[in-house]
Amino acid sequence: MFDAFLIKPDSLRNDYDADGKAIGFQFAVRIADYRGCFLSLVNGYYINVDGTEYGRELQTFEINGKAPRTYEELKTCVWEHWNYDDAGIVHVKKEGGLAPGRHKIGILQSILAQYGYMPWDEEWVKNPPVPKPGSAEGGGKTETVSEFDLELQEGGNA
Amino acid sequence: MAIKRGVSLYSYQQAQFFGKMDWKAQVREVREGLGTDGIEIINQQLIRDYPFPSEQFIYDWRNYLARYNMNAVTMDVYLDVHQFRDHVMNYREAAEHLKNDIRLAAKMGFKNVRCLVLVPIEVIEMCIPEAEKYDVRIGKEIHAPWPIKPGTVHDKATKGMAAGINFNAVDEMLELRLRTGSPYVGLVPDFGIFQFAPSEVSIEYIRRHCHNQDAVDFILEHAPEYKHDELIDVVDEKFPGHGIPVNSIDRLALHKPCCQPEDIKDIIPYIISIHGKFYNMTEIPGKPGQYEDKCIDYATPIKYLLEGGFDGYIDSEFEGQRDQQDRGVEYLVDEVEQVRRHHEMLKRLCGEAD
Repeated sequence: MFDAFLIKPDSLRNDYDADGKAIGFQFAVRIADYRGCFLSLVNGYYINVDGTEYGRELQTFEINGKAPRTYEELKTCVWEHWNYDDAGIVHVKKEGGLAPGRHKIGILQSILAQYGYMPWDEEWVKNPPVPKPGSAEGGGKTETVSEFDLELQEGGNA
Repeated sequence: MAIKRGVSLYSYQQAQFFGKMDWKAQVREVREGLGTDGIEIINQQLIRDYPFPSEQFIYDWRNYLARYNMNAVTMDVYLDVHQFRDHVMNYREAAEHLKNDIRLAAKMGFKNVRCLVLVPIEVIEMCIPEAEKYDVRIGKEIHAPWPIKPGTVHDKATKGMAAGINFNAVDEMLELRLRTGSPYVGLVPDFGIFQFAPSEVSIEYIRRHCHNQDAVDFILEHAPEYKHDELIDVVDEKFPGHGIPVNSIDRLALHKPCCQPEDIKDIIPYIISIHGKFYNMTEIPGKPGQYEDKCIDYATPIKYLLEGGFDGYIDSEFEGQRDQQDRGVEYLVDEVEQVRRHHEMLKRLCGEAD
């Protein structure tokens, strides 16, 4: 769902530290569903930029006006809601950030939303699925990688 | 006694996503564009900060529905068993979740909640006292590929979403209703159970994304020859790297409805409200201004509903937008127009005068 619209246009920027050094990049995402979700269900993204994959351990997720959180932290946000209308910001660590110009980004969103009990439930508690191309497991309502061609914008979070 | 028309605001999910219509604009469209009063919602689509909306939101909602003289029919509620992440929610916790949704529905003036077909019957039984106390009925959805009459399908799946199927869901609900005598237990059939072919918008979407068109052709042509899991294996074997996800194979493979139209006759007294699922309303050839969804039978089940004296709402549930969101904005479908066409059909089939 919303394949071509999961990343907000004009949202790709570099992240900077207090000294103004680029330490990564960020982009704004929407939920690939027709409803919001408990924040605890946000299970990370498969992210591929210009052919390089950036795993979930390099990602943090910013939502609800709070500082970016890791997916381990989000797991405990069992009463907080990602509202359907809102964008979240995915931050990705990358020394030096992205070079100016256009970048090809592929993403697959993993949200552990379900419609009730399924045979794999206990397994998901022990080993949550890792979002990866070719597997819809844990992909919520996105089944395939969505591709974007985005221009790096000026500015970003310090 | 009559069939009444309503809309699940699910139908306007795309307009809401893009900030084109907030819930107030959606409610106004139902009143002013469709001339009717029935409103159904998805709790986590519409309620900001679910499950803890502000008092202001509740009052604003009730006030707005009163202003336009609307009727809050059904609130659709969910069961995310992984909410707590450190364990799978047990049945008692699932019941607490549903009870909270019942209280929230009552606060917003809804008469019913629609729970998912996968909610265990034990969980629903635990919630009957809360439903009675708050005067909110619990309707279990009958959603494709679930049958109304168990015994008509024996194809047990282990892959994809179909793996969760308990074919006895309808019988369990009817047994619970009869055993407890509680009118607070019922059913919410979805017209998707009368879908007899894949929608053209789904086929086109899958074609745009798969790596092998022959695999799509094969499934469309040969699906009737295989059982669910068998077909997936055969497609994998014949077309390695086809790139069609399991749930999409299921969609392509649909070649007969999971319920016969006449199956609905026996459950009419237990229907809470109905989901008017559709994917693509197109003009009927030779009949300008009249519309149909070419893959779902509406005429026959509606005939039985009228004959059986069904007194309740059919709420439009447009679902064709998701298969048209993979390209530019110029390809996005107009949900408002689609729902208006659906209501042309409902009015016509239900014999409602213009």
